[in-house]
Amino acid sequence: MKTSSSGLKGMICISAMTALFAACVAFAAPVGLPPVPVPADNPMTPEKVKLGDKLFNDTRFSTTGEVSCATCHDSKKGFADGLPVSEGIHKLKGTRNAPTIINSAYLHTQFWDGREPSLESQSAQPFLNPVEMGLKDHEPILKIVRSDPEYSNLFDKAFGKRGDQITMTEVKQALGTFERTLVSGNSPFDQYYFKGDKTAMSPAAIRGLDVYVNQGRCVSCHRIEQTQAIFTDNRFHMIGVSANQMPESLEELSAAVQNVKEKGTDIAVLSNPQTSSLGRFAVTRDLTDIGAFKTPTLRNIELTAPYMHDGSHKTLEEVVTFYNNGGRLKETDPVPELLSGGIRPLNLTEEQQADLVAFLKALTSPEFAQKKP
Amino acid sequence: MGKNKCLLSACLAGLLGLGFLVFSLSSQADDFTENDLKRWNQEFMSVVMKGEKLFHSADLGTNKVSCDQCHPNAANTHPETYPKFQQQLGRVITLSDMVNWCIQNPLEGEPLPLDDARMTALLSYITFERRGVSLAPGKH
Amino acid sequence: MNMNRRAFLKATGTGLMASAFPISLVKLAFGGQDPSQDFTFGYISDAHIQQIKGTQFVRNWDMGLIRAVQEANLLTPRPDFFMFGGDLAQLGKKEELDHGLEIMSNLRGKVRYVIGEHDYYLDLGKYWQDKISPLYYSFDHKGVHFVVLNSILTYDKWTHETWPSPMDRMLAMARLDNPKGSPFMVGDQQIAWLKKDLAKINQDTPVVVFSHSPIQKIFKPWNFWTQDAEKVQALLKPFEKATVIYGHVHQVQYNQIGNITFHAVMATAWPWPYPETYSQLTSCLPKITVPMNRADPFFERDATGWQFVDMKSGKPAVHYQLPDNPNRTVIFDTVTGKPKDVKYQDYNRRIPPQTHF
Repeated sequence: MKTSSSGLKGMICISAMTALFAACVAFAAPVGLPPVPVPADNPMTPEKVKLGDKLFNDTRFSTTGEVSCATCHDSKKGFADGLPVSEGIHKLKGTRNAPTIINSAYLHTQFWDGREPSLESQSAQPFLNPVEMGLKDHEPILKIVRSDPEYSNLFDKAFGKRGDQITMTEVKQALGTFERTLVSGNSPFDQYYFKGDKTAMSPAAIRGLDVYVNQGRCVSCHRIEQTQAIFTDNRFHMIGVSANQMPESLEELSAAVQNVKEKGTDIAVLSNPQTSSLGRFAVTRDLTDIGAFKTPTLRNIELTAPYMHDGSHKTLEEVVTFYNNGGRLKETDPVPELLSGGIRPLNLTEEQQADLVAFLKALTSPEFAQKKP
Repeated sequence: MGKNKCLLSACLAGLLGLGFLVFSLSSQADDFTENDLKRWNQEFMSVVMKGEKLFHSADLGTNKVSCDQCHPNAANTHPETYPKFQQQLGRVITLSDMVNWCIQNPLEGEPLPLDDARMTALLSYITFERRGVSLAPGKH
Repeated sequence: MNMNRRAFLKATGTGLMASAFPISLVKLAFGGQDPSQDFTFGYISDAHIQQIKGTQFVRNWDMGLIRAVQEANLLTPRPDFFMFGGDLAQLGKKEELDHGLEIMSNLRGKVRYVIGEHDYYLDLGKYWQDKISPLYYSFDHKGVHFVVLNSILTYDKWTHETWPSPMDRMLAMARLDNPKGSPFMVGDQQIAWLKKDLAKINQDTPVVVFSHSPIQKIFKPWNFWTQDAEKVQALLKPFEKATVIYGHVHQVQYNQIGNITFHAVMATAWPWPYPETYSQLTSCLPKITVPMNRADPFFERDATGWQFVDMKSGKPAVHYQLPDNPNRTVIFDTVTGKPKDVKYQDYNRRIPPQTHF
């Protein structure tokens, strides 16, 4: 829909912006979270959000026409998919567990190994992965968004661009903007810790918080601070998950690195479990990063089982046992040689472990809390 | 007449006594000598030395590690910066909290009660080795 | 090797070695025009294996050595050999040395050992000599002359006449800030041996001395100190390319004194503070050193690590492998004739974690 003059258009844009800005200010800092960081070259607008939402759910951007971002990041499943590792076209399995998109706007890097620096740049990768959407390049996407009348309208409204003016830059920016709206705080923990409502958490969860910040040592990586809690330090740590899949010999390591160099990191790590187990090393080639993965946020963790980068931990109880044993599911398992210095046996009692799980369940935001039938 | 004299003397004595008492009470509050200062400093240093001994002993934890293995002469403890926002704990803590964190983690021991004589001794030694450095609370 | 490849290697400084990949081993020999070929050796030091009771050892220090060995096993191209820089044990006990050797036995490659004071002062090096290594010796490799010194000796009186028991002596030396400590030295016997040893080689042969103590005078109260440093330095003066690599300090240090380049190595066990952080005394840390990042005790391996050393034309480039931290590389700058951190040497490039107080 064309407006009568660029001046009017400008005014409409400005008032929309003001309204959105007001909304953003109110919306920008949910209880317990800092304001959402927004890149200077991609300010938030309702038009971009609407466009991004449509792109996010569009299954036409895959070879089979059946897979969209929402396939693995399902709004009914905490914006994850409930599977150990995600399944793309033809139900092809990757090697990694789908992280939630909720609060991913606060992360300094995207993907478990941080190989993409922003929501925008991450959004373009799964389209090209053989086990995700399977496209050879982005052309099929551009064809659709440039010709589909509804997209034409939305891109025009969001970016003032039509036809061949529409590039992957706009697609990525719209997707990033949509994802940036998926932030949530205001969990029972936030009410208790930041709003001072002593009744907001159960006694077990309150005891669990004490374990979390003291003997459990969780807070050192899954950060809670005085005025906000994003539950991650945005760093990479080797905590011992899938240690037995990691290369043990120089030969195995060399083969995994060759895999990365030949196929590119994105495709290589999702195609081979041993390559995937390299973690951050695949990106930095730094020996001190072998097997290190990004600390995920714990907000809404109750909704996003199974856990860890390979979905190998089915329940929160299993996760707590793993940490309690110092990076092992069983006390008798060997200690990985390259274990992060932050991981050690915790000597928590059964009660402390149960309390910790109760606390983790208090991190679910009300808008995502599952409604029992 | 003798009785009155006695009474008068008793009153005078009482007044004098009271005056003397008042006089001596008011002078005790701010009347300490160089010797007192020396003596009190020795009392303090005796606790500093206890702290020095604890700091260099294997007695605080369960794994034979002593504080001085990472902190020779209590260096790198930065007592003048507490309380501070200890970013790894996500909250503002005091020096005692940090001492207890070290006892529980690298030394794998049990935390000390805050009014424990051993905690006082450790704090005395740690701050003594940092004497003269200006307060800088909150400095990371 | 063609001229383009050599130019590429020179231009990139530490170049391929620093990245450790590609896998294809590039022969870095300078084809006869240079007396030394380029090669790498690994350096693991200051493990401080500490016995709690029986077969129980301090997990933290064990993990440090285990990690260094595992990372070193994954280093490509493979280093020519490894050095262990001293202080394998904490209190010189047989159990500690044996446990340390057991972990070291997983290291793939030839290992040579330098003794540290924590290894020496319980039995004056007897078990070390029986089981591990001579106390001082030299060897040659690809045109470089290497010397290993026992630089943690001290005055005879302190060593032999002061202590009720060997363990008392060991505990006294183990305490870094011991006011009743005694300074490290090489001693006249070794000085005489070193003089003879160096007389056999040409002055254009690169010489590398491995020592536990710094062969410098940095901070006496913590024995960052070698009492007869000047005597050793004088013996190294005639050589065009002389290097000293030392342990003991558990921190990044490097220096240039005349023709001699000095490099400290990291400990696998725990970091030590820089001497300037002890506010009651002054110290002399080499001004050129860009300090390591401050230790974050919430991660056990923070401010610990190991290193591999590139010998490029007889001068070392030290690659510090620092878990939980960005790695550091200190090369030899042939223009200034001094060591230089490739990233942070310029004051404007320093970062907040490098501030120590």
